[in-house]
Amino acid sequence: MSTPTLYLPRDSRLHHLHPLTKLALIGLAIVAGATLPVTLWVIAVYLLILMPLAAWGKVLPAFLRSSLLLIWPFALSLTLIQGFFAPGEHILLQLGPLSLKLEGIQLAADYTARILVWLSAVILLMLITRPDQLMLALTERGLPRQIGYIILTALQIIPRFQQRAETILDSQRARGLETEGNLVKRLRALVPLVAPLILSSILELDERAIALEARGFTRAGPRTSLTTLKDTAPQSAFRWLSLIVMLLLILARAAGWMTA
Amino acid sequence: MIRLERFSFTYPGEDQPALSDLSFEVPAGQFYGLVGPNGAGKSTLCYALAGMIPHYFKGTLSGSLTVAEIDIAQSSLGELAGTIGLVFQNPFNQISGSRFSVRGEVALGLENLGVPRDQITDQVDETLEQSGLADLGERSPFALSGGQQQRLAIASILVMQPAVLILDEPTSQLDPVGTSEVYALLHQLVGQHETTVLIAEHKLERLAEFTDNVLVLNQGRLLANGPPKTVLTDPLIEEIGVQPTRYTQAARQARARGLILKKDEFPLTLQDAQEFFDDAAV
Ligand SMILES: Nc1ncnc2c1ncn2[C@@H]1O[C@H](COP(=O)(O)OP(=O)(O)OP(=O)(O)O)[C@@H](O)[C@H]1O
Ligand SMILES: [Mg+2]
Repeated sequence: MSTPTLYLPRDSRLHHLHPLTKLALIGLAIVAGATLPVTLWVIAVYLLILMPLAAWGKVLPAFLRSSLLLIWPFALSLTLIQGFFAPGEHILLQLGPLSLKLEGIQLAADYTARILVWLSAVILLMLITRPDQLMLALTERGLPRQIGYIILTALQIIPRFQQRAETILDSQRARGLETEGNLVKRLRALVPLVAPLILSSILELDERAIALEARGFTRAGPRTSLTTLKDTAPQSAFRWLSLIVMLLLILARAAGWMTA
Repeated sequence: MIRLERFSFTYPGEDQPALSDLSFEVPAGQFYGLVGPNGAGKSTLCYALAGMIPHYFKGTLSGSLTVAEIDIAQSSLGELAGTIGLVFQNPFNQISGSRFSVRGEVALGLENLGVPRDQITDQVDETLEQSGLADLGERSPFALSGGQQQRLAIASILVMQPAVLILDEPTSQLDPVGTSEVYALLHQLVGQHETTVLIAEHKLERLAEFTDNVLVLNQGRLLANGPPKTVLTDPLIEEIGVQPTRYTQAARQARARGLILKKDEFPLTLQDAQEFFDDAAV
């Protein structure tokens, strides 16, 4: 069983950047995706920034696979909804009372491009950043430790709970429980599944909390860290610059300086 | 190293105490076993020794409990971490979930104690070596076998170099190989670091092999405190619902059927049993 995160260890310059620098890069792409006024510019962010970054990080195939896999449901539903229901003049196709309109397709393309940039920016961050290092970077900058802990644990523990649910389901099924059939039947079947799951989870929460206590989790006083995050002056400068660019983009959009 | 004087504890809302009027001592560097039927209070005693009672589980206490010269009730869990280590049954629940490598997991306790980084590195390496996990340092803690996970749980505590190590049925979810791995590690620990160890355990043969002394608990009371050979072959433990080893059972059967007459001391381990039946055959 490996760690259920997207992270792909690679020996690349991108991987070695400080997690906050990667976060700044990704933040920049997300803000650009939200504020750029022209659809083509948004697509350019994906093609000319995110894809080359992924290639630099030696994760391009995984990046393309995940981002394209996640985007098509959005693309499809947006095209159908906007294409048929957004107001517009240019009718491309008449299907009885429904008409597919060019304006709707353009709107759908614009939304899809933006969602693609957001999703793929986050995917890229997850592909190139170890979650524990990202949390370390954030807690070093003041994120409460408990919150960092909860996020990290959720990443690793939730898939285990899914496994456990499967196991319980299997054993209930072996005892003749209905897991197929109509909705009422299946909902009723959930009760004996959920009860042991919740019960064992509560008991385990105690054990987990005790195990952490025994290792000084709530101890007062200074802490140290085995892993060090390498940071450099240019990276810090880059992060400040990114922040300024992000603010400028938002300001420009809000003030209407950028238009198609 | 561990000293209880008339120590009692009652969980909130219960009328019966879970531990009642316990008095015993465990000298430094000794390896103690703790046996008793289900519900005897073994886990409760382990929690009390590690300070989880009264600092995590509330309830009514009386008498006194000191470990490593610390009055547990007057201390805090933060202070106790690193001095008293606690390991329990399910290795999965002892993995923090916040570290992505075995190395990182072992380091967590030292990070929380604020130990300088160089020292963490040294101590983690040494502990990984000692627990036979050196080759697995970069592995995800979740990608280990049960025995390896339990050794990781123990290593994560050992790295803090506790004076006292309390284990609550640490091998109950492990197969014989995993169990042997854990005991081998504990045995080495007592020998080399003079750690005081107290282990709650159902597998009497392991206690026979490794411990200096065994405590028997029933309904929260201490029934016996003595060397494994005497305590674990005593018919008393069967009366309270602890199953004796199969060697003891076989010998007792043989005697009940009149096959053996002269012996009144029963064997505990395979080796004892061989001697026992050899003698009896003459
Ligand atoms: N959190 C709790 N609240 C109330 N009562 C409890 C609690 N935990 C345990 N008890 C009770 O205290 C008594 C001792 O339980 P304990 O878990 O210490 O026994 P044990 O010897 O560890 O048993 P086992 O062999 O099953 O692990 C039992 O009667 C149990 O029901
Ligand atoms: Mg118990």
